[in-house]
Amino acid sequence: MRKGLFYGLLFTSPAILGFIIFTLGPMIASLVLSLTDYNVFREQTAFVGIDNYSKLFSGEDELFYKSLGVTFYFVILRVPAVIIVSFAIALLLNLNVRGRSIFRTIIYLPSIVPAVASAMIWMWLLNPDLGLINSALSWLHLPTGNWLYSEGSVIPSVVITTLWGIGGTVIIFLAGLSGIPKQYYESIDVDGGGWYSKLRHITIPMVTPTIFFNTIMTIIGSFQVFNEAYILTQGGPNNKSLFYVFYLWRTGFRDTEMGYASALAWVLFVIILIFTFFVFKTSKSWVHYEGGERA
Amino acid sequence: MKQSKLMLTAGYAALLLISATFIIPFVWLLRSSLMNLSQIFTMPPEWIPKPFQWDNFHRALTILPFGTFFTNTLIIVAGVLIGTVLTSSIAAFGFSRIQWKGRDAVFGILMSSMMLPAAVTLIPSFLGWKMVGFYDTFYPLIVPAYFGGGIFNIFLLRQFYLTIPRDFDEAAFVDGATYFQIYRSIILPLSRSAIIVVALFSFLGSWNDFMGPLIYLKSDSLFTLALGLQMFQGSYSAQWDLLMAASAAVVLPCVIVFLIGQRYFLEGITLTGLKG
Amino acid sequence: MSRQRKSISVLLAFLIMLVTVLSACSKSDSNAGSGNASSPANTASSASAGGEKSDQPITLRMTVWGAPEEVAAYKVAIKKFEDKYPNITVKLQHIAADYDTKLTTMVAGNDVPDIAQMESASIAFPLAEQGKFYNLQDFLSSDPEINAERLVPNISYSLEPGNVIGLGPGPESFGLFYNEDIFKDAGLTPPPAKASEAWTWDEFVEVAKKLTIDNKGRNVTDPGFDPKNIKQFGVNFPTWWGSYSNFIFSNGGDFVSEDGKTFALNQPAAVEALQKIADLINVHHVAPSPVQAKNIPAPNVALQTKKVAMAIDGQWVSAGLAQSKFHFNVGVLPIMQKPMTTVVSGMFSMFKSTKHPKEAWELMKALMDPEASIDLITAGTWMPSYRDWYTDSALLAKWTENLDSRPSGYKDAIVDVLLNDSHQTPTGYVKNFNKIMDIVNPALDKVWLGQQTAQEAMDSIAAKAQAQVQGRRDVKG
Repeated sequence: MRKGLFYGLLFTSPAILGFIIFTLGPMIASLVLSLTDYNVFREQTAFVGIDNYSKLFSGEDELFYKSLGVTFYFVILRVPAVIIVSFAIALLLNLNVRGRSIFRTIIYLPSIVPAVASAMIWMWLLNPDLGLINSALSWLHLPTGNWLYSEGSVIPSVVITTLWGIGGTVIIFLAGLSGIPKQYYESIDVDGGGWYSKLRHITIPMVTPTIFFNTIMTIIGSFQVFNEAYILTQGGPNNKSLFYVFYLWRTGFRDTEMGYASALAWVLFVIILIFTFFVFKTSKSWVHYEGGERA
Repeated sequence: MKQSKLMLTAGYAALLLISATFIIPFVWLLRSSLMNLSQIFTMPPEWIPKPFQWDNFHRALTILPFGTFFTNTLIIVAGVLIGTVLTSSIAAFGFSRIQWKGRDAVFGILMSSMMLPAAVTLIPSFLGWKMVGFYDTFYPLIVPAYFGGGIFNIFLLRQFYLTIPRDFDEAAFVDGATYFQIYRSIILPLSRSAIIVVALFSFLGSWNDFMGPLIYLKSDSLFTLALGLQMFQGSYSAQWDLLMAASAAVVLPCVIVFLIGQRYFLEGITLTGLKG
Repeated sequence: MSRQRKSISVLLAFLIMLVTVLSACSKSDSNAGSGNASSPANTASSASAGGEKSDQPITLRMTVWGAPEEVAAYKVAIKKFEDKYPNITVKLQHIAADYDTKLTTMVAGNDVPDIAQMESASIAFPLAEQGKFYNLQDFLSSDPEINAERLVPNISYSLEPGNVIGLGPGPESFGLFYNEDIFKDAGLTPPPAKASEAWTWDEFVEVAKKLTIDNKGRNVTDPGFDPKNIKQFGVNFPTWWGSYSNFIFSNGGDFVSEDGKTFALNQPAAVEALQKIADLINVHHVAPSPVQAKNIPAPNVALQTKKVAMAIDGQWVSAGLAQSKFHFNVGVLPIMQKPMTTVVSGMFSMFKSTKHPKEAWELMKALMDPEASIDLITAGTWMPSYRDWYTDSALLAKWTENLDSRPSGYKDAIVDVLLNDSHQTPTGYVKNFNKIMDIVNPALDKVWLGQQTAQEAMDSIAAKAQAQVQGRRDVKG
């Protein structure tokens, strides 16, 4: 166990080098650009200090606060939904049922269908008049909704559409479940415990590292939601789905204010960092590693 | 492992219901790929093409040089896959099975690379690759895979490595094994499921990547399938019949790879098998 | 311990090998790509050499978007051009999607084409404002074959008067497309084609009411009509600026005032037009709301399957209609005060960084020549850019007669209106258009959904929109 530092650095060197070579440069570049009035098309770029940041926080840019609020709302709804639904589906797929490899493939399918094709489907499914969802609801005598087209329901609707693409999260849960040694369950069988006590005492504690991973990844991904606004809603109606990264992209690439967009990006970076750090800190109390390691 | 009949049946029913929902987009894609333009948009949607337009595939696959695009995609995907699996599993070992000072801090810094929206690093990255003369080559798309293969994959594997009991390493150390031997003969076999997941994700991710090839390639002869697919979306007239046929043709290999790949982690591990 | 060393050294050797291979690749590649890397130096030397000889081999690069058949048409035009100028090779770069992102990145990397297809609502003006484009006026004024008068109206884009930054390969205007069978079956007179006989707005609404049918076969004027279950809408009216601008202009309104100093969508003329359009949806129930319209994507399908009886849309839909094989026709847009159509079109722009402006201009001319893009024009996707193709009867016949894409009303409703009563797209003259619309669009969402009147909605954002108004490009100063 001596020479830990040497071997640790040796094994991780590809990743550390990769970070320094491919990622660090562009990250620093964007941080520096966030202190300038960089416009890709203009020859001169002036250093403006923290002007971009003070413009953000001075309240002058209403869309900044608006998009931040929209995004927070989305994250708060989506993260628990993704984790619970994908874990439940993974548990089902882990049952010893016939044809489960087909089921697994089907659950993953929406993740590989091109986004434009999925968007078309969602437009139809969520259409208030002709859509399948409203037709089904009215058939069941339940109230129908305007889904993507009303200010109140657009964010929950987008959350629902993204639940369709949770195949990746499910697969990761499945890999986690498959790593649980079967003997552990046998001991519960011996004690006469049922499925609930297996879930509670074996399955959940054993997959906490996977839950932890999926939670972190879902938080990072949800804060950076972009495609749904880009393809489905264009930020509407009435800016109620103006996601932060969509606004950032619009500022940087359509309005060509890349310096300001970089400042927007770094604000989001800090927000995500704080959330991730918080989850990492709490993980010590709930993530259980068989290897006896702390997170 | 015993499971009650009732639970199996309930689970089966739930699976059928969920699968029915999840398969809709794929069925929609397939049926649209065999329809004419007006039937695609009929409301409420029809599910059986009338007539079957097999010609859509023929037209879609001849309008663009799909053979070249396919070869290019294969080269990139193979390169990325190998690099990612090799280096992410090694790096994850260093972040989980070896104790060293500053490990978690370094890991945290690497994690941060996922937190900055790509929109603002796009141009600096492009300028970097162009400066070293790699613009319009496959290198910007493949080379990063050989340097850790992305923190996502490292983090994923790290989580799995951490669940393997530490006694195994200790025992091996006593027997005089090196870190590399522990990695190769204990950790790798035990985390097969997770490694296959990483392999699958990197295959599918690189197969479907659109932004990378769009930014880093400029010659038609280097274009990929994902890029070719976009060409059917004109600005005034989207040719949905051809777009859907081309999409189906591009998606099908993914489905097959996934179907085969995921079979390999069907079975869980057993501790006895390991010790024996 | 020795075994441990061994495996580590294997790992090290592997890494070193990898790095060597990569750096080797990098070397060979940077040599191959040196044409790009050292282009600034090349520019300098060739510029100092002064002018190029006509037989010197020249390569021009051009970026375009578009569907495969549009790209094929460009290739035909380019082939002809290359035959005419054997020393010039044209490299066509087709950017299939995210055109602006890709082009912005290329600009950042000093890797711009000589000619780019551009769109007035996106990054064309931001590029021009930073002096990235040639002033095409200089070419237009001195060229023996082509000049401003020879082009149809409203297809040239100017940064300011006298500074032309882009020329469209053809205009696109709006019309009232309809399914002839629906009118025949209903016993109604179809929309007139001639501008002089155009429907007034009220006449248009009355016809639309009779053609809006619920699931029990009742139309809007029948008692018991059920607006919740409409089977056939009288008209489809896309709610984007291109389509409603027709009626703002027809009513004498505008997006900004004539001097370019004041936000004008809250002025009476514009508000009236917007309100009347919203009334089609929410009061008369003859047009689908934006919500319902999301599922009426292609006008050719909507008209053919009788989802809608009429569709207000750009003439580019002719191509799809021609392929759909049913009896469609086109009438002139209803008028509020005067006949009017907005002309939207893409453009070609020439980057200042080109080393061969003369040749690039020749290429642009070749692309704008209707003869070169005749396939796209006869298919219905494009219209010609030269005025004589509209006025000379022999040339006009070439692209408007005996074609599926050009029904009987086409010449009067589209061609004549374009020549006589057309208006430039607001993206072409309103400065800071996108930022203004970022404020206007969310407010208009409420108008289309019937939650606010046009007056309320526009007044509520007028101050904020006014703050984004920066003037007009067609007014000096």
